[in-house]
Amino acid sequence: MSPQIALHDPVFRAYFLIVLISLAIGGAVLGFLRFILKRETASLFQTYCSWILMAGIGLLVVFLGRIPTIAGVTLLSIFAFKEFARASGLYRDWWTTGAVYAGIIVVGIASLISHPRGEEPGSGWYGFFVTVPVFAIALILLIPILRNRARGELQRMSLAIVGFIYIGWMFGHLGFLANARNAYGFLCFVIFATAVCDVSAFTFGKIFGRRPMRSEISPNKTWEGAIGAFAVGMILPWVLRFSFPFFGPRELVLAGLIVGIGGQLGDLSISVIKRDIGTKDMAATIPGHGGIFDRIDSLIYAAPLFMHMAGYYFPLK
Amino acid sequence: MKKWRYDSARDLEQAPIDRLRQFPREPDMLIYGLRSLVALIIRGLLRIYNRFEIIGHENLRTNRPLVIVANHCSHLDTLCLLAALPLRKLHNAFPAAASDYFFQSVPRLWAAAVIVNALPFERQARVRQSLALCQELLANPGTILIIFPEGTRSTTGEVGEFKSGIGALVAAKDVAVVPCFIDGSFRAWPKGKRLPQPRKVRLIAGTPRNYRTRTADKIDICAIAAELRNAVNELRPSNGTC
Repeated sequence: MSPQIALHDPVFRAYFLIVLISLAIGGAVLGFLRFILKRETASLFQTYCSWILMAGIGLLVVFLGRIPTIAGVTLLSIFAFKEFARASGLYRDWWTTGAVYAGIIVVGIASLISHPRGEEPGSGWYGFFVTVPVFAIALILLIPILRNRARGELQRMSLAIVGFIYIGWMFGHLGFLANARNAYGFLCFVIFATAVCDVSAFTFGKIFGRRPMRSEISPNKTWEGAIGAFAVGMILPWVLRFSFPFFGPRELVLAGLIVGIGGQLGDLSISVIKRDIGTKDMAATIPGHGGIFDRIDSLIYAAPLFMHMAGYYFPLK
Repeated sequence: MKKWRYDSARDLEQAPIDRLRQFPREPDMLIYGLRSLVALIIRGLLRIYNRFEIIGHENLRTNRPLVIVANHCSHLDTLCLLAALPLRKLHNAFPAAASDYFFQSVPRLWAAAVIVNALPFERQARVRQSLALCQELLANPGTILIIFPEGTRSTTGEVGEFKSGIGALVAAKDVAVVPCFIDGSFRAWPKGKRLPQPRKVRLIAGTPRNYRTRTADKIDICAIAAELRNAVNELRPSNGTC
């Protein structure tokens, strides 16, 4: 991945156009609602503007190449974990949060460097990347021992481990995907498809939503929205088949399941966390979306599943 | 199983800009780390670029609440005073900064909140509220307040009149007040200049004073302000200009 390759890569160029067209369609729908149907769209418009900004930044970072992509994903993990730590109260413990930040940076480094003895092809040290949790958890468990403290430590350790595994490591898979042979196809597909599924869950829920899906977790999510997003998720890999021409029907169906169901499970699992903490959003970083953690929730679930699915059937690097 | 209690930050719902404006702040590791790192860099730069020197170092070493009072003619003053404190005290040191100047535009706001850890001080209206906030902070041991009682940067290099608010803050209270004189900062970075010049800057810290025996009435407050001004002015080296 580099700017020169991206310029000539048909997949990246296709996604560039697809993103532009999707944003234009979104804008047209929004304009229709606002000016023809005279609906109140102020909050939707804010969400839409944030989408434009995020799409621009995302495309730019992927365009710039492998190192910016991995660095960008690591930064997102760091800020998402910061939001999680502030919401859960873990941020008051400097040592434990520091250990998690260190772990997240190590995940980024493992995605950046190559195998030291050259036993793996290409860049990125897969063997280390998948074992980072061992070292990070060991470090987190070490902290109360070093500080000779036990009171409330189980809660801190648990929050730190969940924060690291969920935000640092699982989301870090998105960065590792930049090392894949088919990096542009995989990265662009996962990011674009989960975003489209999120939007369609919202849209179908708004139009047809009747039956609440998980009333105790997230009162606004409905079965209708979920089924709509699932259907869109199942269709997308076939429509975007050019991103991975070597995928057969089995892999395409799996990819559809991962973005169609996995993305929504990610959304629900962060809702569980937010419900238990008792906050609506993790932060208010992105206008119209909530925090960074709220935005990347479905990617956290979908990216690692997708990467390991693709890596199981085809050599990743 | 007992229910876990999550002690969330109070400002979750606020946009990032509003969070910077809020005081007291609730920073996490990232902010502390960044602040300490920038403080180290600033210390290094001051030493090299401005040949920064501290006289009376020991007067600033205490584990009790401390009010540092100094003359003010440059943004360097705050940085010099912060550079004279131990690094671990940095996050409990609050330079009082004019909220009409530092807490408006975003870059200044960011620098004031993240790098300097400034306390937003209302110098026109609601001075009383700002002083009450300072009192509150002084209740925790380890707090260091950095106050420039002139209320603004001097444009001549002379020490101007001290506002009586400083008297109200320390009268009848058991807090140490350390008068400091910063010499050379006026030549190094006067008001209105974009960048500092490589001139020598010196910080002279005087002996701590205590005003717990004084009453908080109007006459005493003004007297304390005048006394502190003299104390700061007396620290001026004979060959210094400011």
